[in-house]
Amino acid sequence: MNAPLNTPSVSEEAEKKTMKHSCEHHAECMKIIQAILDDEATEAEKDHFRENMDKCIPCIEAYRLEKCIKDSLTLKLEKKPCPQNILNTIISKINS
Amino acid sequence: MSVAMSETPTNKYTNDLRYEVFNREFMPHIDSMYNFAFRLTMDEDDANDLVQDTYLKAFRFISSFEQGTNAKAWLFRILKNSFINDYRKKSKEPSKVDYQEVETTYNSEEASDTTYTVDLRADAVQELIGDEVANALNALPVDFRTVIILCDIEGFTYEEMAKILDIPIGTVRSRLHRARNLLKEKLRSYASSMGYDS
Repeated sequence: MNAPLNTPSVSEEAEKKTMKHSCEHHAECMKIIQAILDDEATEAEKDHFRENMDKCIPCIEAYRLEKCIKDSLTLKLEKKPCPQNILNTIISKINS
Repeated sequence: MSVAMSETPTNKYTNDLRYEVFNREFMPHIDSMYNFAFRLTMDEDDANDLVQDTYLKAFRFISSFEQGTNAKAWLFRILKNSFINDYRKKSKEPSKVDYQEVETTYNSEEASDTTYTVDLRADAVQELIGDEVANALNALPVDFRTVIILCDIEGFTYEEMAKILDIPIGTVRSRLHRARNLLKEKLRSYASSMGYDS
């Protein structure tokens, strides 16, 4: 009974030790994170992302923040319909 | 003024085809165009005029639109050019910041980019409502605002943005990166003024 309970916490502890708390190339990582979120990353950038993003705390946090901002811009901003009178004016002008 | 994405004078448009292409390819984008115009001018009347002018230009120059290419990007490019040429000078936008000045500032501070962090948490951004995000975006100088609109709101690729803005892809990337850093600063002031900050 003890073993199954302890096992996860031991591995969590081990994981914590391998996590990086500072990133020596964070500026570069920020550019890569944005390219990944924009679906514009090169293969080399994708490789870098896969290799580093699960063990670097500043990059994980930056990824969450960038994704959250991008999602907010995509989903939260009001999209207005074009006023009908503009549509009507355009149609009447091209037909005249 | 050149309005074509790619100038191929080989397209033969009959009169019927002009209307058909206009209705089929251009009209479906009118809401996106209106929102783009509104976010550029931040004025309803100017946005109305800009959309109208853009669509009339698009119709007039329809023979330089190559069928099968990206109509939305083509239209956005015309709208952006009209905005720069016709509206920017008489823009009602207050406290207009000269783009060159901003870019120079940011370029000269390239070194600070390496340690650039904004103390802003994802949770704080999640709490912000649409109007607050919109206000932060609207507070950016127009060229920075534009790249964020094109990328994050309209979903254009970097390549499409390069064509719309007439700049190299590398510049799209770096301008977007700087725009996002500026946006984070604006969002942080909103977040802290709303008490969402850590």
